[in-house]
Amino acid sequence: MAVTTAIKVTNLTHTVSANTGDLTILKGISLDIQEGESVAIVGASGSGKSTLLGLLAGLDVNTSGEIYLYDHAFSAMDEEQRALLRGQYVGFIFQSFHLLPSLQAVENVMLPAELKGDKDARQKAEALLEKVGLSHRLTHYPNQLSGGEQQRVAIARAFASSPKILFADEPTGNLDEGNGRIIIEQLFEMNKEQGTTLVMVTHDNHLAEKCDRQLVMSAGQLVEKN
Amino acid sequence: MQFALRLLLRDIRSGDILTLIFALIISVSTVTAISLFIDRLQLSFESESANLMAADRLISSDDAIPDNWQTKADELGLKQAQRTSFRTMIFAGDNLQLSQVSAVTALYPLKGVYLVDDTLFGTGHEYTQPPQPGKIWLSSRLASLLGVKIGDQVEVGETSLTVSHFLVRDPNASSSAFAISPRAVINMADLAATQVIIPGSRVRYSLLLAGDKDLLDQYESWVTPQLNDGQRWRTPTQKGERIGDTIGKAQSFLLLAGTLAVILSGIAMALASSRFVKRHLMQVAVLKTLGATPKKLVQVFLIQFIALFVIGAGIGLAAGWGLQLIISSMLAGLMSTALPEPSLSRLWLGVATGLVSMLAFCFPLMQRLIKVSPMSVLQPGFKVEQNTVIIYGIGFVGMFGLMCLYTGGLILPSIMMLAIVGIGLLVALLGYGVFSFGRSLTSGATSGWQIGFAALYRRLFPNLFQLLVFTLIIMLGLILVGVKSNLISDWQQQLPADAPNHYLFNVQADQIDQIDKVTDSLNIKRSDWFPMVRGRVININGTSVQTLYPEDKPEPELFSRELNLTWSDEIGKGSKLLEGDFNANGLSIEQRVMQEANLKMGDKLTINIGGNDITLPITSVREVDWGSMQPNFYLILPKQALADYPANFVSSVFISQQNAQPFYKAMSQFPTVSMLNVGDLLKQVQTVIGQLSQAIQLVLLCILSAGALVLLASVRSTLEERLEEGALLRVLGAKKSLVQQALFVEFGALGLFSGLIAAAGAEACLYGLQVFVFKAEASWHPLLWSLGPLIGVVVISAIGLFASRKVSSVPPMHLLREV
Repeated sequence: MAVTTAIKVTNLTHTVSANTGDLTILKGISLDIQEGESVAIVGASGSGKSTLLGLLAGLDVNTSGEIYLYDHAFSAMDEEQRALLRGQYVGFIFQSFHLLPSLQAVENVMLPAELKGDKDARQKAEALLEKVGLSHRLTHYPNQLSGGEQQRVAIARAFASSPKILFADEPTGNLDEGNGRIIIEQLFEMNKEQGTTLVMVTHDNHLAEKCDRQLVMSAGQLVEKN
Repeated sequence: MQFALRLLLRDIRSGDILTLIFALIISVSTVTAISLFIDRLQLSFESESANLMAADRLISSDDAIPDNWQTKADELGLKQAQRTSFRTMIFAGDNLQLSQVSAVTALYPLKGVYLVDDTLFGTGHEYTQPPQPGKIWLSSRLASLLGVKIGDQVEVGETSLTVSHFLVRDPNASSSAFAISPRAVINMADLAATQVIIPGSRVRYSLLLAGDKDLLDQYESWVTPQLNDGQRWRTPTQKGERIGDTIGKAQSFLLLAGTLAVILSGIAMALASSRFVKRHLMQVAVLKTLGATPKKLVQVFLIQFIALFVIGAGIGLAAGWGLQLIISSMLAGLMSTALPEPSLSRLWLGVATGLVSMLAFCFPLMQRLIKVSPMSVLQPGFKVEQNTVIIYGIGFVGMFGLMCLYTGGLILPSIMMLAIVGIGLLVALLGYGVFSFGRSLTSGATSGWQIGFAALYRRLFPNLFQLLVFTLIIMLGLILVGVKSNLISDWQQQLPADAPNHYLFNVQADQIDQIDKVTDSLNIKRSDWFPMVRGRVININGTSVQTLYPEDKPEPELFSRELNLTWSDEIGKGSKLLEGDFNANGLSIEQRVMQEANLKMGDKLTINIGGNDITLPITSVREVDWGSMQPNFYLILPKQALADYPANFVSSVFISQQNAQPFYKAMSQFPTVSMLNVGDLLKQVQTVIGQLSQAIQLVLLCILSAGALVLLASVRSTLEERLEEGALLRVLGAKKSLVQQALFVEFGALGLFSGLIAAAGAEACLYGLQVFVFKAEASWHPLLWSLGPLIGVVVISAIGLFASRKVSSVPPMHLLREV
């Protein structure tokens, strides 16, 4: 069976302007991630992991080089097209959950499907919340949920659009060990079930080891960890 | 569309968007209430004043009214009547008397009523129709001079008419002020038969019109270009007339109040929008990561905005309508007649305010939301592209446009905008200086003072902005309080309850003692007697008036007609010496006429009196309070200049309801003395002033409450950060009292400072308003300087401490989770 490349990066460089002048955060990174693969990006704080994640997801525009998401080159796209592509291929899980505070748990999960105009958004969301063990918390607002529960809602939301690629930024960073473990289990279980490609930034070695590949970010370069 | 509305509903349910809707409701309702209320007052005064003019509009003319003017009025469907006034002798047997006669058509009066009676000097009952053909109504004074009773015949010119009633009051009271001869009314049908009007007669023709305002406006624009020098178009609330002036000032005040309401609305919208944006930035970024495209977001926000606008403006309009009903019903007891219904067409002002403030404040901020980078979900500090200057610039321009729309002029909005810019600069400069200074004096974090000042300095820009908002709101309140007290005390001073209401003219020197006896015996208050000689200014510094003002150049009032001149040793009641020496051997001139005629101290005027010329320099300038109802004069001459000319005397008296009849009867023994009753006019002015004062207090209350709400919103807008900081301090072991003290220092300092700057701004604004809008003398307002800081410290600290009371009562963990 032919292997499909989900993400392809060639010679990616990213420079930002800082008070002290221009700062090159990513220096000529090249990378291939296959469909269904799980990849952990590790490295010290401030090494550029989250920047790389954002660029891979098309949240920002890189300075030079090229990123392809299923053969779609970001450089040829404007924000409108990149957003459409995200809606089609990408799901997200964030360290600080980023649930919309004005929406109930179920409404947060409905969002991606609603954005696509899906009529069954509610049923799907309820099913996903049930899957993460929160069927009793459907109508709770984020500030009525614990951190672990909020992250589970976020996982349900991430899978709501059946994404081909899931980007996770320190998904257990704000959770205690117990909750972190539950989250990791659910994340990998759903990842496996849906055959999703997983790209994750983490400090958590235990979490990184569960991934197929580990990439270490250091001084703007990405190195494969054996 | 459904998605956008669903999101909106969820936002409304969670209360997040309520601040924005609330701000919109405040904007729309305040402006709607005030503009509807102004409209009702305006309509009410117009109709009351129309009753005193006998019509909605009037054209007075020295020549007969052209036929096509009446045809045009007919075409437009306006009601019309005509009045022809002239002076003629009326004969009754051997008695004859020069009288002021009005011949009127059948529909006269179009507005208001006649008061007539069947007994001499009776108080009268209302009549809406004029005398029948063949009949005549005589004033009691005229009837007693002629010695006639009801049913007797009198001769007017070539015809004989039957006296059917005694005239007590003509509906045309406002213009009767100049009719000194005793009055009579006949039917227009009898005019031709009298044959008294011949070429060269001095006759005043009037065409009276009544009907729909739009039609009257149409007629006005049609007829005005055709008016010649001897013809005038008059409206009931004309500027320059007493009531017109009073209403004009009140309108200016209400417009000012409305303008301030607009500014307040702007502030409310700006605050609410910026809070909305702040709370939604991350949400929009998340939506973007979930695949929301900029186009989709624009669509979502546009739909949400339209829905918000419909909800906010709808509730605002209803609330505004309700509010003006409340104000009007509170005033109902004071009004002599019910207030007319407001015109629905006025509602657009409220809607426009809502729309413009949304466009000006929400859209630019919304732009910022749409531009937020999705990257900020990963890096919260990710810089958002924004140009605050442009955002607030648009808001500023929008507000200025609204104020111009609201006031229909540029002066008021310009004064207010200049003041706001000035205040902005002052706040920026002084605020920066004081906060930095405060910080340098109190380094460390062991007392509430130190923490409070440190917080002020640390959040310098948000604090400066908040300072500006506080200052503006307090300033608006102070301006309104200042203008209100000035205006009302000005009015009250103008017209005491016992202000003279009758003028006595044509009194000969030898009648003075006898009239004094009458007034003394009836205990009637009388002003001094002033001698009166008629004269005309013909030369200024040796140049003739004709040379200075050729026919095509309008001449100032001082030179346009024969003036009443007097002499006096004392400056008299109701006058104030502004410049020069009143007793010098020269002219004392009234200040406004002097300005209008572009004269100055020392200018020499030549006055023609009975064929002789007298030349005198201007040696003093007086300010005259024409509202005092004392006899007053543009020019007062030295006694020796007028001593040789025959003078008659003038005075004014206050006649109460009780002593009216005995006084009129007693005065009938002086048939040559003319009496002018301005009581009705005065009464109307007093009623109007009473009503307006009440109205103004209510509107003031309304705006101040709106101001308080905006103030509350403003304090709340930065509450989260303060709560978070307070909670952190408590986590670190700070006592409740320390946190409270720090908050008190922060809010108290902001309050004190904004109160002081607001007082300065209000004083400057009041100066501009007094000089340019109310055309009054500028005065100093010491009250503002204590009221401003006091309100600032007390109100802002109270609101701030109340709103942040959670900091000291709720466990810090809860707070940190909430914020």
